[in-house]
Amino acid sequence: MTRAGPGPAAIPAGPSLARPRARAVGWAAHPVGAVAVAVVLVAIAVPVVAVLLRAVRIDGAWSGEALSRMLGSPRTWRLIAVTVAQAAASTALTLVVGLPVAWVLARYRFAGRGAVRTVVLVPFVLPTVVIGAAIASVLGPSGPLDLRGSWWAVLAAHLCFNLAVVVRIVSAALEDLDPDLESAARLLGAGPVAAARRVLLPAVAPAVAASSIVVFLFCLTSFGVIVILGGGAVTTVEVEIWVRATQQFDLPGAAVLAALQVAAVVATLVVYGRVAGRRRVAVATGAPGGRRPRGAGEWAGVGVAVAAVAVVVGFPLLALVERSLRVGDGYGLAHWTGLGSATAGTGLAVSPVDAVVVSVITATVAATWSVLVAVPAASVAARRPGGVADRVLLVPLGVSATTLGLGLLLVAGRPPFDLRRAWWLVPLAQALVAVPLVVRSVAPALREVPDSVRDAAAVLGADGRSRWWRVELPMVRPAVVAGAGLALVACLGEFGATVFLARADRPTVPVAVERLMSRPGEAGFGQAMALSCVLVALCGVLLWLLDRAGSRSRGGGLRLGL
Amino acid sequence: MTRRSRVLMASVGLLVAVLVAACGGDDGGDAAPTAGDEPREVVIVTYDAFALPARAAAEFEEETGATIRVVASGDAGSMLTKALLSAGAPEGDVLFGVDNTLAGRVTSEDLLEPFTPREAADVPEAVRLPGELGDLLTPIDTGDVCVNVDAAWFTERNLTPPATFGDLADPAYRDLLVVPSPVTSSPGLAFLIGTVASEGDDGWETFWQRLQDNGVRVRPSWDDAYFTDYTVSGGDRPLIVSYASSPPVEVVLGEGVTEPRSTVMEATCVRQVEYAGVLAGAAEPELAEQLVAFMLGAEWQSELPLTNFVFPVVPGTALPPEFERWAATPEDPLTIDATEIDARRDEWIEQWRSIME
Repeated sequence: MTRAGPGPAAIPAGPSLARPRARAVGWAAHPVGAVAVAVVLVAIAVPVVAVLLRAVRIDGAWSGEALSRMLGSPRTWRLIAVTVAQAAASTALTLVVGLPVAWVLARYRFAGRGAVRTVVLVPFVLPTVVIGAAIASVLGPSGPLDLRGSWWAVLAAHLCFNLAVVVRIVSAALEDLDPDLESAARLLGAGPVAAARRVLLPAVAPAVAASSIVVFLFCLTSFGVIVILGGGAVTTVEVEIWVRATQQFDLPGAAVLAALQVAAVVATLVVYGRVAGRRRVAVATGAPGGRRPRGAGEWAGVGVAVAAVAVVVGFPLLALVERSLRVGDGYGLAHWTGLGSATAGTGLAVSPVDAVVVSVITATVAATWSVLVAVPAASVAARRPGGVADRVLLVPLGVSATTLGLGLLLVAGRPPFDLRRAWWLVPLAQALVAVPLVVRSVAPALREVPDSVRDAAAVLGADGRSRWWRVELPMVRPAVVAGAGLALVACLGEFGATVFLARADRPTVPVAVERLMSRPGEAGFGQAMALSCVLVALCGVLLWLLDRAGSRSRGGGLRLGL
Repeated sequence: MTRRSRVLMASVGLLVAVLVAACGGDDGGDAAPTAGDEPREVVIVTYDAFALPARAAAEFEEETGATIRVVASGDAGSMLTKALLSAGAPEGDVLFGVDNTLAGRVTSEDLLEPFTPREAADVPEAVRLPGELGDLLTPIDTGDVCVNVDAAWFTERNLTPPATFGDLADPAYRDLLVVPSPVTSSPGLAFLIGTVASEGDDGWETFWQRLQDNGVRVRPSWDDAYFTDYTVSGGDRPLIVSYASSPPVEVVLGEGVTEPRSTVMEATCVRQVEYAGVLAGAAEPELAEQLVAFMLGAEWQSELPLTNFVFPVVPGTALPPEFERWAATPEDPLTIDATEIDARRDEWIEQWRSIME
């Protein structure tokens, strides 16, 4: 991926490549930012270390019992193999569907292209629990096919969720590739295959590789989807951590698995760093080009791509709505009106509406905190791309949410303070999960602030603080808003950590959806569907606001967080 | 900064303000308990399926002036784990629903305060726990976990229903049994323990291997198995690990059902005892003790069968007619000493998982 020559490096890329090189400035110049980075580091490291310690410290003494028990069990290795295999299969499936869609969206102009691009993105920003519920409405009990408890349902959900990653990243790379280059190659005597191999492939391969790794990573640590759809029959390392910790009360065993999970994620991130490190992977932000399709063949291609998106993304979301309205053999609003009160037999102690209130409050607090920490942290990260700060701020993306949740629970229960009752534990976990999203949104925008502007402000007598408040921050405000919105959406949907920390009488919406779905019977399922629709609506409104903001300003809008 | 983005910022700000206001309204209920004249509240931490005996609860509330609230989280196993992970900072005052298959776990953290109500003297020795566990946990009800048979299903096909554990592994009954997982379900764990008690240390693993070969289906919870797979609820499996009290429940809950479809395989019955205890760090320790004692009173005990479909633990409590008529009361249910269960449970579960998964 680091080949030189007429590869992607020679191809004009997005504005971020052309930015003036930022000067290395010591951490001392950004005391607040340095503190923010340190806060993130400590807040992540403490719970993770607490979990890892549990693997080797049992009842206050060092012990290799859990390590030898878990590592010596063939089941552990089978579990790891299955986890990696399902992630690989999901990635392959997503590429098979995503690449043609990306091609069509990048190369052809047709009515509804913008809509397709947006629709593809919707599941990616929806909570995984909702994706699980949506797929369950199609591939679950009384859906056209009951595949719950099979890997097919999980693969379908992973495809739905991750399609956006492949489509957006690869189509951006395709759009950056000047079609004239291919024509030029043909004119110079290259056959269509040779032209594709020599021009297209080098340009697109890094994007394909990067998007594959991102998808692989998401599937490796996938949790909500599998909890909802697995039915206990299919499981992965991430789910097994949860089962061991919460069902078997085998914390040392869970800790060993968490350590293996961290190792796998770090390995994946290292590979990602190699692929994407030197070269920023473009994400579509500019106006798409392309031409109108010609001939029946090209139109058929467009049709197939649109149909694929409709089936993979549109259908489950519509089915979700349909199932929320299905009461008995007919249709009605019973599941919706039932949201106002706790219904016996649904496994939920509070009313679903209470869960919505808890979710919104928690996510708002969490998103606010993540912005307060991430924006100063981003100012440090932006100074040295790939530097220590930049990497530290990526860590929360790699730590599995269940490990984080379990770790926070263990740490919070440790004397001298017992914080497990503290209301801020859940928002803290969610804020940590959201920090990288905000940083990824704000840091690139900060890098795009030309040094000349800072210099001019300095020459005019502005000190560091007023340069930040009066020059830099106003220039990156759209990116901050976008990051905050993305953080809010992520916090609303956070499940892996929240499920450990939420008290039974204060569930968030994703936790409530899982509780409702884990009980058989129409009442629970219908309410879960209705509640998922509420969450979709909440996220939808936020995204719509964001997209409006993003389309009006440079540096705003949605970035995929990586 | 365009006008539009300012409008956006304003609307986001407004949203936040509304949310914070909503937050203020909600937080009041969550504040620390007992501010003098405020009504006191006693909270039962239990599993999802628990149904509060309403009449008895109302009586308790009248007597004490406190209200009872139920906080349920998952199956008995996950409820207990959650309680253990929050030991010392409990989500309530009384822990209810730990059974003899899980009881030993309560001592792995300082989860409960020792408390034995006076009324516990009435409880038969057989259901009480030995030693330290006995000081922490008070038995409230018993039930038997048994394989239920959809007798009508077998009659329609002119088949003889199975009668013993061995029959369940017989190819004649292939693909007919559904069980809840012992990892995530307490009746599932009780059934696993029953197979150990019945088939012995050197036989139970082979037995499960044979069950596996015979097409046993494992579901994460009893609810899943009963309501999705059992033929009586419209599923495709006429044999299920359920309760001795499931047949009368069909009559009690079914509209116009006068006779249950299910019968019970008595040879498979395993005794389950459910306990209550006072949570360490409870906000209302006195009320908690009062409530645990009240659970052994006649009102609570006599209401248990028709609310939770279990048998009262206090001898002489009158049973409802449906129970008298239809509930199986195995003379000699399988049982394993709670101490031994505690010592070997995790090993059994691990073994079971390596056979079945």
